[in-house]
Amino acid sequence: MEPALLIKPNFCYKALLNMNITFVKKILADGSPCRKCGDVTDKLETNDQMKFIDQILVADESDPSSSGMQLAQSLSVDRAPFFVVEQDNGEKTVYTVYLKFVKEVLNQTTDAKEEAKDILDSNPDLDFI
Amino acid sequence: MTNQALDIPALAEEYDQKSPQDILKLALDSFDNIAISFSGAEDVVLVDMATKISNNVKVFSLDTGRLHPETYRFIEKVRDHYKIDIELMSPEADAVEKLVKEKGLYSFLKDGHQECCSVRKIAPLRRKLTTLDAWVTGQRKDQSPGTRTQVPVVQADNAFSTAEKTLTKFNPLSNWTSAQVWEYIRMFDVPFNELHEQGFISIGCEPCTRPVVPNQHEREGRWWWEEATQKECGLHSSNLKK
Repeated sequence: MEPALLIKPNFCYKALLNMNITFVKKILADGSPCRKCGDVTDKLETNDQMKFIDQILVADESDPSSSGMQLAQSLSVDRAPFFVVEQDNGEKTVYTVYLKFVKEVLNQTTDAKEEAKDILDSNPDLDFI
Repeated sequence: MTNQALDIPALAEEYDQKSPQDILKLALDSFDNIAISFSGAEDVVLVDMATKISNNVKVFSLDTGRLHPETYRFIEKVRDHYKIDIELMSPEADAVEKLVKEKGLYSFLKDGHQECCSVRKIAPLRRKLTTLDAWVTGQRKDQSPGTRTQVPVVQADNAFSTAEKTLTKFNPLSNWTSAQVWEYIRMFDVPFNELHEQGFISIGCEPCTRPVVPNQHEREGRWWWEEATQKECGLHSSNLKK
């Protein structure tokens, strides 16, 4: 069986050394885990991508002072999970779609259908398009 | 003035309380390569407003292949009424055939609507958006309080932007209520989808849309078999200090 994600042959992991990657997952206000955040965590582990994550923060909806909520506020992010990629020069890029992060930051091949599903999963407001 | 570098956060704040027409004018004045996404429902008001602002309005719709016959008739009616082209985006035949072969015609009842929507709606939408610099949607804050997703009047579209190009998204109706939309439709005698006369508020694909009764939220007319919590991705804004 082929792996779900393939590393592009020309990919240089050195590029990843020059960036700091934060993964933010949330806990719902009632204390229950976020389903989507769990899904993304599973994918990161299954695809051996957790090694690229420098830190994991929790956005606890019942605690505005939680590190993830604070980061979301500072970057005007209104959904979770999300990734923040910070370059050496301090430039930050936010990714709210897991497969987009995988494709553009980890430079791994993704499936177009899965990408589309991931976009919808992460942007339920698109239901009304 | 086209494709200028916009200060999107500043514009979102400046235009938040402005009229949909003002927001639409900003969009059409700022971008040449811009199109309106028309769902075949009450977002027809955007088409009406836009054609009063510009005589070069581009409109596209997503033909999932499973819309109501009434919606197809309505799209044609809008095309004739406003004398505009409406580009219909269809899903990739191979992708639809694969989905149907593997999971049948009603997979969404068992697996959730996301997979079917991703094939029939999101992929064609993405294909279209790669050709644009900006797009206009009829999204409103009151459509889906359950998702608690913020709908700024203008935003960088993080979902569809690429490393090479930032896509700008305008949501002129963001702050309007359903009642305001219908007030506009009645006031300006705007054509509307006949399904609205049958109790439909939110209109999507035929198998996934149903009429609602009075005092039911329009969201309850879509994917009613799914749990609301499964649609939740937002960070509750009230928990974020302003």
